[in-house]
Amino acid sequence: MAIEAGSVSVVSVGATKTEGGTRAHKIEIGKKPQVAFEVWDTAPLDWPEEFDKVFAGSLKDPFSWAEKCVNEYKAKILCVKLQGAHPDFENKPPEACAKFISQLLKKVDVPLIISGCGDDAKDNLVLPLCCEAAKNERCLIGSAVQDNYKTLVAAVLADEHNIIAESPIDINIAKQLNILISDMGLPLERIVINPTIGSLGYGLEYAYSIMERARLAALAGDRTIASPFICFVGQETWRAKEARISSEEFPGWGSETERGLAWEFVTAVALLQAGADMLVMRHPKAIEMINKNMGTLR
Amino acid sequence: MNKVKVTFFPDNKTVEVERGTTILSAAISAGISVNSSCGGDGVCGRCKVILKSGNVYSQPTGRITLEERQKNIYLACLASIESDLEVEIPTTSRLDLRAESAQDTELRMKDLFSKAEEIEIPKPVLTEKLFAYLPLTTKIYLELPKPSLQDSVSDLDRIYRQIIMHQDIPIMQTGLANIRQLGELLRDSDWKVTVTLGRRNGTTEIVLIEPGNTSGRNYGVCFDIGTTTISGQLVDLNHKKVLGTMAAYNKQATFGSDVITRIIFAQKQDGLEKLHHAVIDGINQIIQDLIKEHSIDLNNLTAFVCSGNTTMTHLLLRIDPSNIRRDPYIPTANFVPVIRAAEAGIKINPRGLLWCVPGVASYVGGDITAGVLACNIDNEEDLSVLIDIGTNGEVVLGSREFLVSCAASAGPAFEGSGVSCGMRSSRGAIQKVKINNNKVSFETIGNDKARGICGSGYIDIIAELLHEKIMDKDGKLEPKKSDRVRDGEIDKEFVVAYKEEADAVADIVITEADIENIKRAKAAIYAAFATLTRHMDIKLSQIRKFFIAGGFGTSINIESAIKIGLLPNFPLERFIFMGNSSLIGARQALLSEQAANKAQDIAQKMSYLELSTESGYMDEYMAALFFPHTDFNQFNLRG
Repeated sequence: MAIEAGSVSVVSVGATKTEGGTRAHKIEIGKKPQVAFEVWDTAPLDWPEEFDKVFAGSLKDPFSWAEKCVNEYKAKILCVKLQGAHPDFENKPPEACAKFISQLLKKVDVPLIISGCGDDAKDNLVLPLCCEAAKNERCLIGSAVQDNYKTLVAAVLADEHNIIAESPIDINIAKQLNILISDMGLPLERIVINPTIGSLGYGLEYAYSIMERARLAALAGDRTIASPFICFVGQETWRAKEARISSEEFPGWGSETERGLAWEFVTAVALLQAGADMLVMRHPKAIEMINKNMGTLR
Repeated sequence: MNKVKVTFFPDNKTVEVERGTTILSAAISAGISVNSSCGGDGVCGRCKVILKSGNVYSQPTGRITLEERQKNIYLACLASIESDLEVEIPTTSRLDLRAESAQDTELRMKDLFSKAEEIEIPKPVLTEKLFAYLPLTTKIYLELPKPSLQDSVSDLDRIYRQIIMHQDIPIMQTGLANIRQLGELLRDSDWKVTVTLGRRNGTTEIVLIEPGNTSGRNYGVCFDIGTTTISGQLVDLNHKKVLGTMAAYNKQATFGSDVITRIIFAQKQDGLEKLHHAVIDGINQIIQDLIKEHSIDLNNLTAFVCSGNTTMTHLLLRIDPSNIRRDPYIPTANFVPVIRAAEAGIKINPRGLLWCVPGVASYVGGDITAGVLACNIDNEEDLSVLIDIGTNGEVVLGSREFLVSCAASAGPAFEGSGVSCGMRSSRGAIQKVKINNNKVSFETIGNDKARGICGSGYIDIIAELLHEKIMDKDGKLEPKKSDRVRDGEIDKEFVVAYKEEADAVADIVITEADIENIKRAKAAIYAAFATLTRHMDIKLSQIRKFFIAGGFGTSINIESAIKIGLLPNFPLERFIFMGNSSLIGARQALLSEQAANKAQDIAQKMSYLELSTESGYMDEYMAALFFPHTDFNQFNLRG
């Protein structure tokens, strides 16, 4: 009996010299699951102290932070969050953000995921300039949301990048946003879905079930939902009280270092089972663990 | 002295009310219709008024910003009056909101509710010959043989005897009032009288005895009492002829735009009384206008048949509707016997009869029973579907084997209420629209100058905006695609008709909020249909006839309705547009006892699927919140 099966599309991020870019390699999202290291354009204020130790104080300098990820921890792809542009943070001007991206592209040669600050109005000013600054490098840029996708799609189209389509744990909106974006001329094969997740204990099951439903629909042949998933594991995990609170406050919970690691790792493992294709994570040790785990997957 | 005076502007109306009354109730007393979707709970924030002078006490509310508070803006429903007041009610807080001048507002507000408008109705598709003619009331003229010592039966028996000679019906009852006046009446009229017979619950009653021959003049009215719109029709019962049709918005809208808020309002002090009077006033006004226009004596109006949703029927009869809202949602009565119209406050002949087409459940009322009757679904061998698109969207699926119904709350958008330039389908309503290369061409009802947009117009506009890519599938307008898209007060809007080409004080527009409203309404209705067919495990190809009912206009462009995802993608020839099927069914029941009996059968036979406990409904609804649908493969139109 012939079953017509669908497949998840493959989004290619990073352009090598032969493709007109300057990246050492490209990453194909949608084939084997992979991990991106999360770096910021500014020093994070609320990350646990543990990260200062791990990155040996380099968090204050985004470039050395990024270089450390690539050179020391062998990151194959980086996810740059432009948190400094947020009006409540440093409110960096768009030009400064674009300059940061061009400089970063010179410092590291891995493909880039560029994530806006999350403020729609500001991102609409920042991201188009960053797209331009990273022209020819075929980045993955995010995030387009249902109420604010047109500006980003136009910029991504103009400078030939890929896009992250973010939906609030809602399979219908995920699909609708894909349709809206492809209606503007950006092919479905250049969209990566951010389904929005919760970490362990904070709605992980809900995110899991939405991803599972979407993936089953994709495998049953629905092209409009057949994009690979990107999951921001680090960002969700390290907000959880269980990953942060010190052992002095809760002696019964054990060492916070191990706890945080385990929390990020376990969340990532679960999402892998749900079909995550790109995990954006923070802690090198947790990333090492998940890479090892992925090595056992077939 | 606890009375205070409140003057409303720009209406310049003053009322005297008790201190402590809310501005909203004062406005209602003044006959001003203020927007109040939540029915005065301080939740919807639509009843904002500006205090010009005087003192009020208002509870704090998140609906008023600090800036608004500084401008003396209050929510009319939360502000209780402490002293004499002067209050301005801005246009945006009035029902049927629309930007227009003060004078214009005043003019229109004056007749917004009171004036019933003649409406055009689509030609009935199905013949009414299906049912044997026997109206709810008939008149017969009798010339009685005078009594003598040889023929000494009583006056009443003499009438009975004469009637039986005319018609083969057993007389079962006569009111005492008739008997009391009988002796004198017969002798004064020289034994020549006209008797009105009414069919009451399987028996026949002498409703009325009049001197002389009035048998040529026997009229009835039928009504569809909708949550948003009331439509009435005057019928010549002798000649089975419709003399005129009129419609008006249901005045109850002041107390909340949907049935739930009205049920809640009914539980407040005097709430039920107010709601009852609002609907009765509207109906009586339409009756008055109809008989005046056709020069008919009120006394010759002897029958009244109406169909409405269960809540409307309860409120018409002043029955407490509160249990309709409470689990397990049980109405006081689905089947109401024939009563005297005067008992319900309906002004026809004081002894005239009233019948309500029976309902099925709390949220599937007599309007749907009447619709099924009008579409004749219960006689068909093949499966048919009836979708009634109103404030409540109801869907019936069935054949002669079975009937099953469900209801979904859609909101009044398709009836032209709650949308910025919406209007009822009456003269001047834009009902057909084409957009081509940024040129808009439209057709209005009666070919009058455009005054607003009715439901079928909205369906067309959205389909065209989508087709021309001026709007994305989520309902957002794209300014780059058309110079008719501009920034409105709140969000983007598209100009359908500039004021120069319309009979309006401002441009006729559709806003993104309107589109959102229509999107929700169509999603609720489509989801109800999808859930019902899935529940019954019916394949769409099995459905042979698809009846569309509702007060959109004189017609609806089926293709447009499919393009926006309101209707499923069927071959066009399977759709049959019925117009107001509830009114058609009520008229059939008025004109035929057989049809009325059939309506009872239908109501008894029909089962009901409660969507609020049906797990699939919410999923279907969420998936339908897109144009045409998230699963757009279902809606690929040919050509």
